[in-house]
Amino acid sequence: MRSGSFFLHMISLETRKLMIYRVDFWITMLVNMVAHLVVLWAIWNALFAESNQQFIGGWDLQGILAYGVMVFLTGRIVRGGDLQMIIATEIYDGSLSRFLVYPRNYVFTKYAQQLGNVAPDLVQSLLMAMVAIPALGLSTTAIISPASLAMAVPSIMVAHLLFFLMSLPPQFVAFWADNVWSLSVLLRFVSMLLGGALLPLSLFPESMQQVLSWLPFVYLYQFPTLVLLGKVGVTEWATGIGSCLLWCIVMGWLAVPFWKRGSLRYTGVGI
Amino acid sequence: MIRVRNLRKVFRVHRKKPGLTASMKSLFRREWIEKVAVAGADFEVNEGEIVGLIGANGAGKTTLVKMLSGIIHPSSGEATVLGYVPWRRQDNFRRQVALIMGQKASMWWDLPGADCFDLLREIYQIPPKQYRESLERLTTMLGIQDELNIQIRRLSLGERMKMELVAALLHSPRVVYLDEPTIGLDLTAQRAVRDFLLEYRRETAPAMLLTSHYMEDIERLCKRIIIIREGEIVYDGSLKRVMQEYAPYKNLQVHLRRGSDPDRQVLEKMGKISRCDPGNICLQVSREKVPEVAAEILRLFPVIDLSIGDPEISDTIERIMAGRSGDSE
Repeated sequence: MRSGSFFLHMISLETRKLMIYRVDFWITMLVNMVAHLVVLWAIWNALFAESNQQFIGGWDLQGILAYGVMVFLTGRIVRGGDLQMIIATEIYDGSLSRFLVYPRNYVFTKYAQQLGNVAPDLVQSLLMAMVAIPALGLSTTAIISPASLAMAVPSIMVAHLLFFLMSLPPQFVAFWADNVWSLSVLLRFVSMLLGGALLPLSLFPESMQQVLSWLPFVYLYQFPTLVLLGKVGVTEWATGIGSCLLWCIVMGWLAVPFWKRGSLRYTGVGI
Repeated sequence: MIRVRNLRKVFRVHRKKPGLTASMKSLFRREWIEKVAVAGADFEVNEGEIVGLIGANGAGKTTLVKMLSGIIHPSSGEATVLGYVPWRRQDNFRRQVALIMGQKASMWWDLPGADCFDLLREIYQIPPKQYRESLERLTTMLGIQDELNIQIRRLSLGERMKMELVAALLHSPRVVYLDEPTIGLDLTAQRAVRDFLLEYRRETAPAMLLTSHYMEDIERLCKRIIIIREGEIVYDGSLKRVMQEYAPYKNLQVHLRRGSDPDRQVLEKMGKISRCDPGNICLQVSREKVPEVAAEILRLFPVIDLSIGDPEISDTIERIMAGRSGDSE
């Protein structure tokens, strides 16, 4: 109970911290949204016009545009704002020290902070969706309904947890290598490519789709987006959530030895 | 409260020669050296005691504090704080200690102090009544009640340090580590921090381990000091005793009648000359020779005034830190 209270407090504190910078909040939203929408609209319009087809990989133009917008918005929430490398940064610059003195689990604290960091993204994503989806027009292949929205919320939550846990081992490498920015970029790029954040995986070759379905990346981006767009049935959704949680356990389990061995090497900067 | 036995910490440090070629080489092969930060420390600190940990930069003070607060693991040796091994980081241990690092902010930069303290209440699970009383008492003692709702980043350095002190002491820790708490502060702020620490100690009697480069911090706050040089403890005892042991000389200051020019050769036989010009003499003289030399000066020169005093504590400690203890002459 007390841990829960601390957890909520930490989330609230992080959110308040970010909301202080109102200019940054609105500019980030507008720049991101406009840039992404323009690129998405231009590429897919050109492709559909060139191919002279009404459907590509089971999507109509409005559907694929809705997928592009929604995967972008859910992806921002899943990745957890600007705190993707916070642990590696704190190991590098020694600010981990203050958290080690607090009688709280460090990873738990960081997760709460990450969740708090999501709040502005959540607000921005909702506002962007409310503008972008009607602007793109109605699709016959992707329909957001109250039921799909209700199913998407837990899907995005477990995806966020999975991304957080997945990013722990590369970040803990900072105990050995100091600067692990490249690992973060690699994780982000690989997870986006193989998770369907750039293209729906249904556009990939069949054999590759088979392989990717056994990897965790699909649960980060494509799965919650398809759920949101009403393309996942209840049974498939429940199996997906279960699989995502299983991957969370695996990733959490993998992170433990990195932390145990790494924290023995921690110097806290300087002598 | 704090018990340290043969505590040692060796860091493995990557050594890189300057230049682009060396940088390219280091991508494939690195040269590592071992740096002994703490070389077998032994000491104890009791309840209510403030112990000053003194040493030059890189002597190992902060490393020692980091080990005793549980931030880093030692290479070997033992330590217990309140009966706990610090680097096991048990919650019961962490609830009873505090660490204040003058060079590192621990507060949330973008939030006002009140919000930060509220979070610390959750972190340390401080009962609401105790929290309110503690916050009221500490902010009154430090005079920062009016700054509680201002963003930390908008406060002056002195005010920020006061906030750090409140943050560290809200949960009434039994052991407090202060790593250069007055660094960078102006004289008024330094004095305020010192006065506060003395008052806090009088009221709550925690064990305190203080590192500082300012001798005034040490002289005002600590009766006992530990001097650390290149990772080794070279002195552990009272501040008074350090003078007797490591400053076996006194300073003789002599003012002569106007126009008197003392004979340098005569003075050199009496002690080490630190100043000698017409009208003024300053000599360092062995303690046992002081009466004899003073009488000789009174006999030989037209003295207006003569004073005998101990050297500055800071000079003495600086000599010990530099490995020049006892070389008074």
